[in-house]
Amino acid sequence: MKFRSFIQDYLLWIISVVIVGTFLVLFAIAFKCPLPFILFLVIIWLLFPIAFFLSQYHKKKAFYSSLLKNLEQLDHKYLLSELVPETSFLEAKVFKEVLWEITKSYQEEINQYKYSVEDFKEYVELWIHEVKVPIASSLLIIHNHKIKDSQKIVDQISRIENYVEQILYYVRSENAEKDYLIKPCNPRDVVNKVIIKNKERFIYDKIKLEIEPFKQEVLTDSKWLEFILSQIFQNSMKYRSKEAKIKVSFLSQDNEVQLKIWDNGIGISKSDLPRVFDKSFTGQNGRKVTTSTGMGLYIAKKLCQKLGHKIEITSEENTFTEVTITFYQNEFYDVVR
Amino acid sequence: MKKILIVEDDIELSKELKLLLEQNGYQAEIVSDFSNTKQQILENNSDLVLLDINIPNENGEYLLKEIRKTSNVPIIMVTSRNTELDEVVSMSYGADDYITKPYNPTILLLHIEALFKRIEKNSSRLRYRHIELNLEKGTIEAGTEEIILSKNELMIFSYLLKNQGKIVTREDIMNYLWNTEEFIDDNTLTVNINRLRKRLLDVGLGDCIETRRGQGYILL
Repeated sequence: MKFRSFIQDYLLWIISVVIVGTFLVLFAIAFKCPLPFILFLVIIWLLFPIAFFLSQYHKKKAFYSSLLKNLEQLDHKYLLSELVPETSFLEAKVFKEVLWEITKSYQEEINQYKYSVEDFKEYVELWIHEVKVPIASSLLIIHNHKIKDSQKIVDQISRIENYVEQILYYVRSENAEKDYLIKPCNPRDVVNKVIIKNKERFIYDKIKLEIEPFKQEVLTDSKWLEFILSQIFQNSMKYRSKEAKIKVSFLSQDNEVQLKIWDNGIGISKSDLPRVFDKSFTGQNGRKVTTSTGMGLYIAKKLCQKLGHKIEITSEENTFTEVTITFYQNEFYDVVR
Repeated sequence: MKKILIVEDDIELSKELKLLLEQNGYQAEIVSDFSNTKQQILENNSDLVLLDINIPNENGEYLLKEIRKTSNVPIIMVTSRNTELDEVVSMSYGADDYITKPYNPTILLLHIEALFKRIEKNSSRLRYRHIELNLEKGTIEAGTEEIILSKNELMIFSYLLKNQGKIVTREDIMNYLWNTEEFIDDNTLTVNINRLRKRLLDVGLGDCIETRRGQGYILL
């Protein structure tokens, strides 16, 4: 708060003090009062207003500058109402009360939304668990009764299954804290699991697989990793070329382990590459293959961020695509464990 | 015949599960009344229990804990909840295995088979004509002669043996091998079959694996 703006605020008051003072002096002159008396009158007349004025300025300046400082230092600005400095003047008290009421009512409003979002998430999770039962039944029925063209139906059901998994992990990635468990696990076991889960597809499409052996363990949530890898493998299968081939390799150095999934598929164009992890981004490839939603990699990246892994993608059109997941072995995980 | 008890509240699913198990050489029974599930499981005398986590009136994990107080019956937890935590909790309560819905039927069968194999180690010998297949050692024994098979040859032979007299497609065999983390391709399968034939010829069993053009293989 600047002194000048403070004066501007009190300008009317200052002018009236000066005008009334001038009138008093003029009166005193008209009544032929002695000069010392007039001087004394002027001093008395001005002394009190000036003292009052300065003390007001001091008080307000102290209040507002500490308020602004608090505001600047706060991470969450809305908490300011808790940090209004104690003071004696009335405006500040009213101001504090108003601020507090506003914050409170907003808080209530936000809580309501929070609860309804929470409710919705819970329902979605429940729904997902329920819908998995008929999916499981359908798979069993197809298997038991050897229906004609069953592979095609199984394929379609796997698609449903994948979409269901996607929404489940999307919901989980939004409120993750309670849902993951970081444990040492061998990434190759997880890779194997994902391949076995999708084996019909691999065999049916005659996709060649090369998987390097790997003995080391990394710290991750194996279920989440399974989902992430399954998104990557599904992309490799979806955007494959003729004589499709997928290679999985591992690289261990210093404090990190890299898992690379390479395929000789149709690749990703240079202009699309930086945006493949964006939500709902489908790009040119997405338009070639009708079943793209642009959610798989987006969710995969989000989960990687939560788990503290790095996910990168390199590609050359019509040549290859390679996804690299980097697992770190550092103090962060010691704390988590 | 092994008896498997199905504890699952979805009627359609449990009926199909029963059918699946029966088609694959098990005897299956369904728990239909969930008012006293624990007692029923304990009194059923089954060789294996497939226990769903979400059953009426009770929590599957709690039920598992209760059963483990008095019984050691092998239990596979079946659930649609698939977090790491759920699995850790179930295993720590004494489940022998854990499988999530929706499961691939062949994977479920494989889990069951593996669990039984783990429990009784001595069932790992299969007879075929005058030879004996030793799954543990990975060998064929013919009298005093012993021939070592590679893992793939062993798996292929045991699969053919299980389906003796029936045509099995190349896809079926590959599916079976992939379940055991042997991700082989078409060419490798041909090579492995030919090698297996040669090994069998060595013990005097020529022409026992026939190729049915366009259909697959059959072990006579």
